[in-house]
Amino acid sequence: MITLNVNNVSYQVNVTTDMPLLWVLRDVLGLTGTKYGCGRELCGACTVLINGRAERTCEYDVGGAVGKQITTIEGLSADRSHPVQQAWIEHQVPQCGFCQSGMIMEVVGELNDGRPKAEIINEVSNICSCGTFQRIRAAILSL
Amino acid sequence: MTKPQEKPENLMSRRSFIASSIAGAFVLTLGLEGGKNVLAASGVADALPLAEGRPNRVATTAQLGTWLQIGSDETVMILVGSSEMGQGIMTGLAQLVAEDLMVNWANVKVESAPAGAIYANPLYHAQMTVGSGSMRGYYQSLRLAGATARDMLIAAAAQTWSVPVNLCRAVNGTVVNTSTNAVLTYGQLAAQAAQMPVPTNPALVPDNALRYIGTGLKRVDIPLKVDGSAIYGMDVRLPEMVYAAVKHCPSFGGTLAQTPSTPSGTIAVVPLQVLSGTGRGTETTGMINAVAVVADNTWKAMQAASYLSANWNIPASSLQLNSDDFVAQAEGFLANGAPDTRNAEIVGSIRKQLSWGKPLTNTYYLPYQAHAPMEVLNCTVRISGQAPNQRCEIWAPTQSQAATVATAMALTGLPITQIDVNTTFLGGGLGRKFEQDFVSQAIQVAMAINRPVKLMWSREEDYARDQYRPMAVVEIQASLDGEKKVKSWRYRNCSPSISLQRRPTSTAVDGQAIEGSTTATGVTYSFKARLVQHLVHPANIPIGYWRSVGNSINTFAVESMMDELAVSANLDPYQFRRQHLQTSPRALAVLDRAATMANWGGAVPSGRARGIALAQCFGSIVAQVVEISAPTAGQIKIHNIWCAVDCGRAINPDSVKAQIEGGIVHGINAALWEQVKFTAGKSSVTNFNNTRKIKLREMPQINIELMPTDPNVPLGGVGEPGVPAIAPAIANAYFKLTGTRVRRLPFFPQ
Repeated sequence: MITLNVNNVSYQVNVTTDMPLLWVLRDVLGLTGTKYGCGRELCGACTVLINGRAERTCEYDVGGAVGKQITTIEGLSADRSHPVQQAWIEHQVPQCGFCQSGMIMEVVGELNDGRPKAEIINEVSNICSCGTFQRIRAAILSL
Repeated sequence: MTKPQEKPENLMSRRSFIASSIAGAFVLTLGLEGGKNVLAASGVADALPLAEGRPNRVATTAQLGTWLQIGSDETVMILVGSSEMGQGIMTGLAQLVAEDLMVNWANVKVESAPAGAIYANPLYHAQMTVGSGSMRGYYQSLRLAGATARDMLIAAAAQTWSVPVNLCRAVNGTVVNTSTNAVLTYGQLAAQAAQMPVPTNPALVPDNALRYIGTGLKRVDIPLKVDGSAIYGMDVRLPEMVYAAVKHCPSFGGTLAQTPSTPSGTIAVVPLQVLSGTGRGTETTGMINAVAVVADNTWKAMQAASYLSANWNIPASSLQLNSDDFVAQAEGFLANGAPDTRNAEIVGSIRKQLSWGKPLTNTYYLPYQAHAPMEVLNCTVRISGQAPNQRCEIWAPTQSQAATVATAMALTGLPITQIDVNTTFLGGGLGRKFEQDFVSQAIQVAMAINRPVKLMWSREEDYARDQYRPMAVVEIQASLDGEKKVKSWRYRNCSPSISLQRRPTSTAVDGQAIEGSTTATGVTYSFKARLVQHLVHPANIPIGYWRSVGNSINTFAVESMMDELAVSANLDPYQFRRQHLQTSPRALAVLDRAATMANWGGAVPSGRARGIALAQCFGSIVAQVVEISAPTAGQIKIHNIWCAVDCGRAINPDSVKAQIEGGIVHGINAALWEQVKFTAGKSSVTNFNNTRKIKLREMPQINIELMPTDPNVPLGGVGEPGVPAIAPAIANAYFKLTGTRVRRLPFFPQ
């Protein structure tokens, strides 16, 4: 049994420490906003914040997250009021939306790191196959 | 996918609306021909071809058999038959209803409809989301639904006030008595309105009074997609549910030799067979080509499936599935003739025209492409109850509810009334989620283990077992007359046929293999003589419908060749195209608009060059100008794209632009980097690490203008038409920039 702090809630979960955090969030805790896209840390759909930094979770052993603050898309705000969520709505960014939880958490993580917006645009490597990048760029620049 | 079109008005005339009241709410639904809304279906093999345009013989008595519902709390609930896969269709279709219902948009709620014949897209007679056809299919009937409900609400108000209906006016969710200024809300009128006679010919809001149609209303699904609350197929959770991961035979054509023992820590291993109508090419009915490993979470199931030691029988024919050989075979057919050659268009005499002057002959090569929607294939199934009263409930990110119902009927043997299909959000569809292989597998597992199950493919399985966009080798031979216009155009596309894989005995031309290359299916260039042929390639790697289907192949060949002819005639490629569009004013106007937007012919920044291309498909016309540079060898930087679109009336212009932006990105990925090759029946791509898609920092600036349109022009689709022109536009710009003509895609194989 291990203890996880997710979105400021403490959970006791009965899993092995090598289970990827992604699947603990999705299958054990029911926090399905974080997505599986590749399982190899290639696409970024599984990105969450761990102690405020963006991390891909599909190969992140849950044991490594013990004692840390985990924030998923569900915990970013109670009412979609986070500035990045607001910018995503204002610029009508999502199409299918499947990659956008990870995209938003990646951008939030980089903002938390104090990166300038231009640098964030240069760094984000998350995949979006709907092709929403023009609106993502506009949304980031509007922050 | 292009489907035979029937005018929506004709379709509607055979149906009528039915109104009723449930718990004080006004409910409007659709009656079907002859009052029958439950029709027999004889199984999946019979039912699947309805996806190809045959009448829908699959129907359900959907419990929520409503199109729209007005509650006493003023809420207007609209159920939409199309799947929401990012195209904004929930919003767009609801706009149609809201317009003629004259309701306050803030009170409108939209949900995905369950599977049911009343939700069939009138364009296809089946409930499926394909062919950029949702707006085209539902436009008239949803507007009429709104107008019908509105007139009944007005009639109820007139009855209440004992005044003639012409003294009552619908205003923003209320009815106003114009002589007394009394007001009743739709909610107050709802129950009574349901008792009014259903009007036969309600008036639609005139064009000059439209409030919602033509307006970029914000999408109803987007808030759910920024806070994690949107439920995709992958996110469905049921009590007592277990998780299944699929492992297919590593080569196409192979079968399971024996069922492996259940790995420790897992619940079961279930052999999976190919259901009739769900397998293509090498994957024939009845063969066991995969197993599912069931566990108590997805990770355990995927790990166990990945490491599962299974024995497969791989026939010698599988070892011959090599895409390089397919290309050589196509070249042989083009040089020496193919055993199965079908004429798609013959205008004038090519032979006569080619005998004059010196023709230009070029060959264009396009690879297999994977769909790879971001949400991998998955399906959740619960079979409950005791025979004969069992229910089969399915939650699926499906593009074809009609085929999903048919798949369930075929496997379970249950009648249609005991099958429920719930459509989730789709994390991308791109044509892949039209297929039913993953649905069939999930039902098989649920039946085998007698528990609710969510079945999922890994990304590796997704790339290994797609129904890919077919490869093609296209040879064009053309010559110009003294006025530098095309006098002869011989177009020969050698490619495997999607339709022949599904219906091998068909003798018809595969319309999707050649779409984009004939006068009827492509740009309406006037050539003096034209011959278009499809040389059927026998390669039996499973193939399917990939965003824009054949247009993605043929537009590259046609628009590259047009550029090459212009160069050979020493003409500007834009002006050269214009010369061939003098009898096509719509296409000419779109081309001119893109050229004007880009200031074609004006100064281009140093180190950059521009290319132009035109596409005409799904009832829409799209012209694109692209500006590129090549900062280092082996790379292209795309700076700007100017794009003009004529899709008829744009219902939600912002959604139209989003679809065109997305189509362009889809086309860029395929043009520059993506392909799937096969060696001994195995895909060269295994995950996102050995393919490549555009990144945020590489995204060009896309400028889109929608053409002002005559409201009498039929609606065009927008999901796919953004795709085809970008690859040739880039190739044309690259030639201008470097002098090198790229005729083989992708530009930069990974």
